[in-house]
Parts: sequence; structure tokens; C-alpha cells
Amino acid sequence: MSHNEIILTTERAGKTFGGLAAVSKVDLTLRRGDVIGLIGPNGAGKTTFVNIITGMLPISAGKVTYRGQDITGWPAYRVARLGIARTFQVVKPFRNMTVRENVAVGAMYGAGGARRSTREALRRADEVLEFVGLLDQRERHAEQLTLAWLKRLELAKALAMEPEVLFLDEVMAGLNPKEIEAAMDLVRQINQRGITLLIIEHVMKAIIGVCQNVFVLHYGQKLAEGRPEEVLRDPKVIEAYLGKKYAEQLEARDAEN
Amino acid sequence: MREALRQNRNVVIVGLIGLGIFALLPLFGLSGFAYRTLTSMFLLIVTAQGWNLIGGYTGYAAFGNVAFFGLGAYATGILMYRHGWSFLPTILVGGLVAAGYAALIGLPVLRLRGHYFAIATLGVAEATREIVAWWTPVTDGAAGISLPFLKPITLAQNFFYYLALGMVIFGAFLTWFIIRRKLGYSWIAIRADEDAAKMLGINTTVSKVIAYALTAFLVGIAGSVYAYYNSFIAPEEVFKIDRTLQAILAVVLGGAGTIAGPIAGGVLFQLVSTFLIFSKPFGIDLGQFHVTIMGIFIVLVIIFTPRGVIDLVTRSAREARRVHADQAGGRRSTWTFLKDGARATRLILAQNRQQFKI
Repeated sequence: MSHNEIILTTERAGKTFGGLAAVSKVDLTLRRGDVIGLIGPNGAGKTTFVNIITGMLPISAGKVTYRGQDITGWPAYRVARLGIARTFQVVKPFRNMTVRENVAVGAMYGAGGARRSTREALRRADEVLEFVGLLDQRERHAEQLTLAWLKRLELAKALAMEPEVLFLDEVMAGLNPKEIEAAMDLVRQINQRGITLLIIEHVMKAIIGVCQNVFVLHYGQKLAEGRPEEVLRDPKVIEAYLGKKYAEQLEARDAEN
Repeated sequence: MREALRQNRNVVIVGLIGLGIFALLPLFGLSGFAYRTLTSMFLLIVTAQGWNLIGGYTGYAAFGNVAFFGLGAYATGILMYRHGWSFLPTILVGGLVAAGYAALIGLPVLRLRGHYFAIATLGVAEATREIVAWWTPVTDGAAGISLPFLKPITLAQNFFYYLALGMVIFGAFLTWFIIRRKLGYSWIAIRADEDAAKMLGINTTVSKVIAYALTAFLVGIAGSVYAYYNSFIAPEEVFKIDRTLQAILAVVLGGAGTIAGPIAGGVLFQLVSTFLIFSKPFGIDLGQFHVTIMGIFIVLVIIFTPRGVIDLVTRSAREARRVHADQAGGRRSTWTFLKDGARATRLILAQNRQQFKI
């Protein structure tokens, strides 16, 4: 899909904490309709990278461009209203609200929020809840949900914002294999709706199953980029992150085909 | 949804009954003492309603709200005493001065969270009192300002009683009006998780500053009315930290982040407090132990119903309704309903007590 228009880029984006460079000089290009996997060992700077793009953390260096507009250093709420949404690795539900209200807040304040009344936002929340399969939970309080449902709720809140770009930060961590299958389906459906996705994930099956390309971060720097099958076979990547075991599995699978 | 509507209707009915009782009470003749107690109670409720917006809904534990009370009081005092204004417009000015002040200090202070915010607001209140005390040319300093009396006394009693009651209604209406709108959702979202709120597109700074300014407006108009009602204001009197603490306690007793909480908590606080000071059961003067007993009472309420009495009532009612719905076809008399409610209340109290561990 490389002919599609560029929707979001980072140029030499960096973040330092004190003297430590958590992310440095990362160039990333997202095209409309992409599903890109962002992988790397723990502490590689994946979440920090998302945080500096979305304005959750102030960026230290480099440039972020969204649809031709320089959004470097914009506050999080403005980035969100522009059409960039994200989920949190550690789920952040509004525990004092019902599931429906949680999602409605996204619909009130996200990209489509300005033209929506509270009532319309609640209606929009129902549509999104139906899409992610949480409609029958809508009157429950968020604190009563299981982790798998809370992950879906995160997704629903982000989708209610009507984003064009969506960052998913480990939405599948902690789920069982059946739940992962369901989540993968959901991710594909979201992409079919025209939403560009950047997915941070440790579940490699999911990365291979849904991503066209993967982007590997290691010690805050880009280590490799390309098609999942190729990148995951790259010796550098294996050494940094995956261990030999997974590479062997991949080769075995290729041999079968 | 329908359930939510029905619960709302019940709350409105209970509210209207309470309002009716307080509105009619003076017609049956109240003593001067009763007038004073109830008027003070209404003003306490308004300050509690104010704190409830920033502390209850938005989750920012403000400990300096008395600054807004004092500013409201001094706005009225200075305008009436020095500039000869009539009373009513000074209330609006008092509220607006307090709100403007809150917006100004809120911009830096609301960047802090948790204990840091609490301590910063406390500091601002102390500083504000000192400024007022030393700014003698305008405020007459520590000597304070005397305001004219409203006469005759029966007119004054009824005027302040109904004015303060009207402000309670205004506070409840304002809260109700906001919390069903986007702004209200943003406050509740900020209380739950400020980062998540930002990420959904909420300009948390603006939401918090508005919450703080509206808080200050309510506390400020209470201060304004207090100034004329008391006919005398001095820095030590209107900036006393007790006023902040009483408002917070009223909210916590009643239930933070609810419309009825500050009202129920204010009534409870004032009744228990007044009882302790003025009644002498078995010839024992409780007044000297007032603060101690009040403290024990508050600790007990927090152990047994940490979310406030309103939460206890609504949960009991919900449980009783559920029991009734289960007994389909059975007779749904009010009496059995109340009995089920009482049983649910006992159960919830016992559960809360067990969950409380030191």
C-alpha cells in the first residue's frame, strides 16, 4: 500500500530523561491504511516513542508531522482532537463511570467531539460498544470488568474519538489465546474502516497476523524495518530481542509451506 | 436507563420535600437561635457545594477555599462600607472576585497534584489573609469592618434565612446543570485518570480552572452574605481555616461527587455540632468536649460509610428494590420496603466495617 498518502511522520524524534536517551533519532513514516507493528525488547522506548508523538511527554528533539502539519510539542489534548488516538498499556478506565460513559467521553472530546452534544455522544458510544462487542456491558461500572473487557474498553474509548491514526499499546498483553484471536479480528476490522494503526505488541503471532510491516526499536533507536517475516529473521533483531527459538519456528513453518 | 431516571425522580422528590420543610419552617415560628443555626447551616452547605466541585467531582483536594469566603466577605464589606453600595449587587461582585482570584492562582497551582496541591492551596489562603490584614488603607486591617445592621430584626432573620436557602438551591441546580454536560464529564474523567482524560481530547487545564473558579464563586457568595449577616468581618474571622475544614467534612460526610452529598453532610454536621455545643444531657456540658466528640463522630462515619451517607441510602434503596423485584407478585407495602432497606443498611455498614483495616 506504499502508494498511499503519508499521514504521519517523525524525523529524528528523540526523548531524553536527564542524561539518558530513551528514544533517539527515530524516523518513522505512516501511510494511510497502514498497520505497522512496533516491537523491541522491554525498555526499548516503544511507549516513550508513542508518548512523545501524542504529546503525553514533551519531545526533546526532532519533528512530528501529521497530514503535512507540524505538531511537534503539541499538548496531548490537541493531538487527540486532531485525530490521533491511543490506548494505554496499563489500562486507564474511568472507574467511577459506566462503560457507556467512559466511551462517551471519547466521543465528546475526540476528533468528532466539538459538533456533538452529550446525548449524541452517548448514542455514538453505543455504536462503538456494539462494534467492539461490549454493548451488553454498557451499564456496568468500569471497575467491575475483567482485564480482557477493560482492554476492549480502552479500544472503544479510542475509537469513539473517530481517529485517523490509532496507537495500540499492548492491547493483547495478558489475554488468553482465544481472546487474542478475537482482538486480532477486531484490529483487522478497525483497519478496514480506514484507520491507520501502529501496534506495540509482544504477542508475535498477532504482529505477524495483522501487520504489513514491523519497526524494531532497540535502546531507543531504530534497529530494523520491513516485512514481519524478514525482520523477524534478521540476526540483529533475533539477537536483540527474540532469541533463536522463534526464528527456528518461523523457518520450520516456511519449510512446511 | 429507565432505572436511572426513576432514581433521579426519587432524589428530586426527596429534595423537594426537604426544600418544602425548610421553606415553611419559619411560618411556624422559629426562635432567634434556630434562625441563626439554620442560616449558618445553609451557608455551610453552599461552601460545601463549592468544595464539592473541585474536591468531590474533579478530585483536587483544595485546602484553601476559605480564601474565597474571605474575599467574598471583604468585597461586600468594602463596597457597602466605603462605597455605599446596596447589599444585593455586592454578592455578585463577591462571587466574581473570588472566581477571578481562583482562576488566577489556579493556573499555576492546579498543575500540582495530590498533597502538593493541598499544601499549595493552604499556603495561598494563609497568604491571602495576611495581605488583607496588612492592606489597611483598603481593608482597615486587623481591626476589621463593621457593616450596617438590617432592621427590623424579624425582617433580617427571614431575609438571610431565605437568601441562604435560595443559595443552597442555586448551588444544587448549578451542580446538576454542569455534571450532565461535557464539562461535568471532563471533571469526573480527570478525577479518575487525568492522563487518560488528556488523551481523549480533554483540555484538563481549562476544565480544572473552570471547576476551581466555580468553586470559588459559590464559596465567595457565601462569604458575601456572611459579611452582611454577621455585620462584622475581620481577617482572623473570615479567613479561619475551620471554614475550609467544615466544608470538606460536610462533603465527605454526605458523599463527595454527588449533588445531595454536601446538603446531607451539611445538615448532619450542623445538627451534631449544634447538639454537642448546646445540649446538656444528664447535666453534662458537652460543649467542652465538642471538638473531640465531633472528631470521633467523623471517624466513625468514615469507617462505617466511607463514601458518605448518601451512598449508604442509595445503595440500601437499590438493594431493597432488588429484593422487591425478586418477590414478584408479593405485596409491595412501604413497610416491608423500609424493613428491607434497613436490613440492607445494616449489612452494608457491617461490610464497610469489616473492610476497614488499619
